[in-house]
Amino acid sequence: MIVVVGLNHETAPVAVREALAFPKERLSEALARVREEAGLGEAVILSTCNRVEVYGRSTDSSVDAVAEFLARYHSRRLEDVAPHLYRLEGEAAVRHAFRVAASLDSMVMGEPQILGQVKEAYEAAERSGSLGSVLTALRNRSVAAAKRARTETAIGRNAVSVSHVAVELARKIFGELRERSVLLVGAGKMSEVAARQMVRDGARASVLGGRTFEKAEQLAAALGGRAAPLEALRAELARADIVISGTGAPGIVIRREDVEAAQAARRGRPLFLIDIAVPRDVAPDAGKVSGVFLYDLDDIKTVAEANLRERKKEASAAEAILEHEIREFLEWRRSLEVVPLLVELRRRADEIRRTEIEKARRRLGSLTPEQEKALEAATSAIVNKLLHEPTVQLKQMAGNGQPEHVGFIRKLFGL
Amino acid sequence: MDSRAYLLLTLFLYAVGAFHALLFAVFRRTILTTVSLTATLLGFAFHTAALSQRWTEAGHFPALGLRDGASFLAWAIVLVFLAVYVTTRVDAASLFAYPFAFALVFVANLTPASERADPVLRSLYLPIHLFLAVFGYGALFAAFTMGVLYLFQERELLSRSPRRFYYLIPSLERSDTIGWRSVLGGFGFLTLAIVTGLLWNHSLHGRYWTGDPKEWAAVAAWIIYVAILVARGRGGWGGRRAAWLAIAGFAVVVFTFTWATLVPAVAVGGR
Repeated sequence: MIVVVGLNHETAPVAVREALAFPKERLSEALARVREEAGLGEAVILSTCNRVEVYGRSTDSSVDAVAEFLARYHSRRLEDVAPHLYRLEGEAAVRHAFRVAASLDSMVMGEPQILGQVKEAYEAAERSGSLGSVLTALRNRSVAAAKRARTETAIGRNAVSVSHVAVELARKIFGELRERSVLLVGAGKMSEVAARQMVRDGARASVLGGRTFEKAEQLAAALGGRAAPLEALRAELARADIVISGTGAPGIVIRREDVEAAQAARRGRPLFLIDIAVPRDVAPDAGKVSGVFLYDLDDIKTVAEANLRERKKEASAAEAILEHEIREFLEWRRSLEVVPLLVELRRRADEIRRTEIEKARRRLGSLTPEQEKALEAATSAIVNKLLHEPTVQLKQMAGNGQPEHVGFIRKLFGL
Repeated sequence: MDSRAYLLLTLFLYAVGAFHALLFAVFRRTILTTVSLTATLLGFAFHTAALSQRWTEAGHFPALGLRDGASFLAWAIVLVFLAVYVTTRVDAASLFAYPFAFALVFVANLTPASERADPVLRSLYLPIHLFLAVFGYGALFAAFTMGVLYLFQERELLSRSPRRFYYLIPSLERSDTIGWRSVLGGFGFLTLAIVTGLLWNHSLHGRYWTGDPKEWAAVAAWIIYVAILVARGRGGWGGRRAAWLAIAGFAVVVFTFTWATLVPAVAVGGR
């Protein structure tokens, strides 16, 4: 049986998540311990900043043992940890594993990191020898399903962080960013992340520095661009396609007149102004200049929210794909159950045959070897002929993914 | 099957294609584009069969009269937009084209064929001239579509709160580029269509210019597109202004073409 015990950003505050996290370098030791202490045949530990989960295969239900292990390992009292834990078995556990890999269970739905983290977790388990056939199958199917959900739906398509939204908007205006010029006014973290992405896409960067010109020079060097003093603003504006402004200045840095002057020199080429400073750097009415697209931090956040809604709309399509894959996986698991059933069925039939032969022998007294042989042959033939069709049918049903008959057959034969 | 049956099948498949293109605009599921594209491709195959069948039936290239004319124009538009889709993968481009092609085929299905058998129509000039002309008009329709998409996307970006079109329509730069290429292509075809038309006139009437309203319409369209080319090449009129020009240019083309077609007692020998 597949089990999952763990917690995530929805069930536990960050303090608890931190407390139960497993550092990478201690994973293999922790894996060995959880298998030993919770009686798991196979185990995988997934530990990210938003979730800590133990995936396991057990012969009986051992979710409580895993929960106890989590508390004990991190020297916490079980009462403190238990309310935050989910303990899932069988189908629920499988469904959870699939949804996590497809990032439908993530804080930011559709974020791409989780799939990599899931793969790493399985790899770590594989290295320390705690991955067997069942969890390997779970990995293969859940990773494949996650990829399918990502490519066939738009759950991961629209950006939801400020810097990525800025890059995406730039692409909506300029298409590819190759050979476009990005101008950074002020050297902040968010501007840098956005600019890095644009430079990766082939854009050229330049950085305007104010009081801390050194910082601007460093950032320009990191981005493979050049630095210029703030006084060169107008000239730089005329050259830029995308401007990301994030200074700590208390007042307006880019006035409407600056933008108008720049636009006059650009023959109507669009100019994308991103103002991520609070208080704002760009005069709000600069956005009214023809050919200028001005987005302040609130606007970017509006887009991010719309994008997230857009992703959530796709969630049901992704869920449907996953549901299909989950069903296939569960059916495959169940089809494995048919083999022991067949063995058992035959054993039971043989048992009955032997007892009945014994009874007959007692009644008939001693038999000649020929009679003995005939009795054996007759009873064997009955058992074989009777079991032939059910055996064929069961194998076929399991192969067709209809293993639901297994339970029925068990009941029918009292197994 | 005769050409009528083929054309009816075409109508059905184009309806499926156009309907799913519109559904895609609303729900934006990739599967809808796939359905739309498949139906349209299949419809196009039947449409081609209908045209070739009709060619045999009529004994001349079938593009005269409302039925054959509308059908042929629709065929060219679908071909042009399939080409645009294959080269650019812009789903939104088909949003106007497929319903429009459907409407044309619908009209074609409702009207009887004109059975005029003029020996003039057997000339090889007819198909060559007509092919060039419909591809020209098809490409200009594509330029018009990209212009409209450009303006919608620009409005979306200026509003700073993206709604449906933001996600549906490609980037401004892309609409602009595709639109520009369409203008170039359309202009090329239109020029060649005019040249072949004049040559045909000459071989029929001994003079290049007969004063037929369609000649005037074609030349008016040609002049507009020269203006667009010059404005962009010389004046740097890209982006929004180019979008407006493509829309205005296409409007003039549609207007003059309709006017020329509807003027009574027109086009006996010519087209």
